[in-house]
Amino acid sequence: MAAWLVRRLAAAIAIVWAVVTLTFIIVHLAHGSPCGQPDGRPISPETCAELIRRFGLDRPLWIQYIKYLGALLHGDLGESLALHRSVAAALADALPNTFTLALAALVIDFALGLALGIYQAVRERRLGDIALGNAALFVNSMPTFWLGLVLLLVFGERLGWFPVGGLRNLVLCPRVDSLPCLADFAWHLTLPALTLGLVGAAGTARYQRAAMLEVVRQDYVRTARAKGLPERRVVLVHALRNALLPLITLFGLTFPFLLTGAVLVETVFAWPGMGRLAVTAILQRDYPIVTAAALVASVMVVLGNLLADTLYGVADPRIRVRPT
Amino acid sequence: MPTTRPSPRLTAGVVLAGLLVAAGCARKGGCTGDYCGTLVIAAAGEPDILLPPVSEFAITRDVTEQLFLKLADLGLSGNTIGDEDFQPLLAERWEWDTPTTLVFHLDPRARWQDGHAVTAADVAFTYDIYTDSLVSSPFRSSLRQIAAVTTRDSLTVVFRFRHRYPEMFYDAVYHMRILPSHLLREVPRSQWRSAAFGRAPVGDGPYRFVAWRAGESLELAADSTFFLGRPHLRRLIWRFTPDQQVAVTQLIAGDADGVEVLITPDNVQRVQADTQLATYPYKGAAYGYVSFNLAAPGDTTKPHTLFGDRELRRALVMAVDRDGLVRNVFGDLAKVPPGPMSQLFWIWDPETRELPHDSARAARTLTRLGWIDSNGDGTRDRDSLPLAFRLLVPTTSAVRRQYARLLQEQFRTLGIDVQLDEVDFSLFNERARTGRFDALINVWNTDPTPSSGIPQTWTRAGFGRSNYGRYENPAFERLVDRAVASAANRAEAKRTWRAAIETLNQDAPAIFLFATENVAAVHKRVADVRIRPDSWLALVRTWRIPADRLADRDRVGR
Repeated sequence: MAAWLVRRLAAAIAIVWAVVTLTFIIVHLAHGSPCGQPDGRPISPETCAELIRRFGLDRPLWIQYIKYLGALLHGDLGESLALHRSVAAALADALPNTFTLALAALVIDFALGLALGIYQAVRERRLGDIALGNAALFVNSMPTFWLGLVLLLVFGERLGWFPVGGLRNLVLCPRVDSLPCLADFAWHLTLPALTLGLVGAAGTARYQRAAMLEVVRQDYVRTARAKGLPERRVVLVHALRNALLPLITLFGLTFPFLLTGAVLVETVFAWPGMGRLAVTAILQRDYPIVTAAALVASVMVVLGNLLADTLYGVADPRIRVRPT
Repeated sequence: MPTTRPSPRLTAGVVLAGLLVAAGCARKGGCTGDYCGTLVIAAAGEPDILLPPVSEFAITRDVTEQLFLKLADLGLSGNTIGDEDFQPLLAERWEWDTPTTLVFHLDPRARWQDGHAVTAADVAFTYDIYTDSLVSSPFRSSLRQIAAVTTRDSLTVVFRFRHRYPEMFYDAVYHMRILPSHLLREVPRSQWRSAAFGRAPVGDGPYRFVAWRAGESLELAADSTFFLGRPHLRRLIWRFTPDQQVAVTQLIAGDADGVEVLITPDNVQRVQADTQLATYPYKGAAYGYVSFNLAAPGDTTKPHTLFGDRELRRALVMAVDRDGLVRNVFGDLAKVPPGPMSQLFWIWDPETRELPHDSARAARTLTRLGWIDSNGDGTRDRDSLPLAFRLLVPTTSAVRRQYARLLQEQFRTLGIDVQLDEVDFSLFNERARTGRFDALINVWNTDPTPSSGIPQTWTRAGFGRSNYGRYENPAFERLVDRAVASAANRAEAKRTWRAAIETLNQDAPAIFLFATENVAAVHKRVADVRIRPDSWLALVRTWRIPADRLADRDRVGR
């Protein structure tokens, strides 16, 4: 197990290095200059020239890359070109917000997806199954930013049930330090988390339905029924347990996907997370932030996969890694 | 006796409803009277650093305006010539010792928010920072006519100029916000752009810094001891949004109390339909234009095959119905400028001579120049060269993209083929800066005076910088020099500027499309809203919320 873990970690580091290197090269080769304000106004040519000189952007790319890699090995992600602060500090502010959003979306995704999948499997080929299947396909086909805009327009702007953006009520709840402020935070989180979670739930439901249908036809399930166990127990205890295995893989891949998928949702809902930070950085050619965002995303994907493989082994002894 | 347990679903519903109710009534406070009130401003973008010498972001200016005072500031008239229309701030008075020596007397009541007095040494230190090449302030070039700033005593500071000119006073006071030398002296000059002070500053203005939540908001609180009078609004909060449209949405949804500019007629209508909101029109600082590249794209040593020809450029200007375009895109929210100027400029003069819109004359000129449709494909040509060019626009600007399409159509009817290059803003900037374009639609946000922007953008001094189209005309430059450096008074300066602009208009280096009229929106409970066009929050310390209009959030205590 230890050797397997070491091999996987080595592979993970290689993958992350490759992603960072590719991102570094691509963003630096892309045309454009880091000489614009966030609102689209250009900064003065003098300031632009100073910026380029100060950050060494006029030096050959390979020198910039070696310098960047050297700093990265020392844990230094560099300084943002546009924010006048360290990249680590900018990420430290943004990442918790993105994690919170992704986690909330994950809960919605799997709770709803599982429930719908089970319900559909139990009612296979009946009206409920067909209707939910089509609805899930419809939601799953929606781009997240479009669904976000629709939810924002209907429930935020028209009906006024939810805030139209931001993390919290800035006046009444500048900090989440009381129950009402926690509720306020949850209220602000609802629409962005639903946007991300609903699309995922639609996909998860389809996976779960297929997995359940495969399991409920197994002999041991038939045996459980023959023993006279209540249907609820047969489905939720005997069948579901084995039908969850494919979802473990899905879980490992979904969390990093939600993190990266939050890019557009954070922009639509003015949610100050990593996605919005990355989008602004790309538009402003803030190379250190863009590369750091790619680094974080790749680490999450690699860790998600690693976690899925490990959990899969734990859940299913048949595929547990044996020492070689 | 049997008992019934509430179902889990019901319990969850009740808890959620309770939380939502609690969210709506969180932390109500008890502030009453004239000095309560919170103004939440929805803003596109976020400050980079709260250190005025090293940032030129508009949003940074809005915030630092409340934290750091100037010696004096522009009056509502916007007159930048002489000193009569300026309002005292840190300086309680000033006098001219000689025609090139200006003496400021600081207000002895002025204090930094850590209790230290504001002194003449702070002013001299500030000048030193703004002009230090290591700090590399974007405002450095605006201070080049000031030879020295010295202290006479702790409250008297002396500015010496290199020579006499009409906007000496403006240059002395407008660009510099005075900084606390006792807190910043130790910061290495090369590290000013990332100084920790810039994320938690101590100022001397009407508001003091409270908190900056990156990506989310920035909060200031009124300084009740402010020597020029306690601000009425107790708190200012900037809520950062990804773009201006989101800011407007937040305003209409009640999540914000004000936005700087509504941009589109549609937004103005939406806000005016809301009974809680009031609109405030004011002169805009932006002007937009099509710049012709007079040099070959990417090779400044050769003239452009089309736009090197002055007569052709004049025909193109005359071909465009600029009034119709403004009505189509902006409605009443912009005017056609009589030259390269925003409505903020005091030299704005509708009588300035321009090339008229006359498409028939434009067509005749093109034919006379040999541009005819020889092969019947709808596009004029000459010596097998089609009359075609590419127009560069940034994808981030809906206004410029709309203009590009309308221009494309107007030119098409005259047999001119225009292809659009829509690129992201960074690439647009780079191509503009390096001259890799035929023509582009650009927008400049200007200072209140033409004396800095026009020379930088329309003379040889701007080559490689802001003069993207590389226009030059010695006669125009002589007139600009005269207007900037030696006009005896405002009337003479205005006459000279008009002559200069008319010279430029006849050369047609650009098509001046629009000069914006801004409309701000502020919640109606806020009274005494006055907006100074060059900086919309410059007078926010005099805005107030009357006691009978206070909302719950205005009363919140901390």
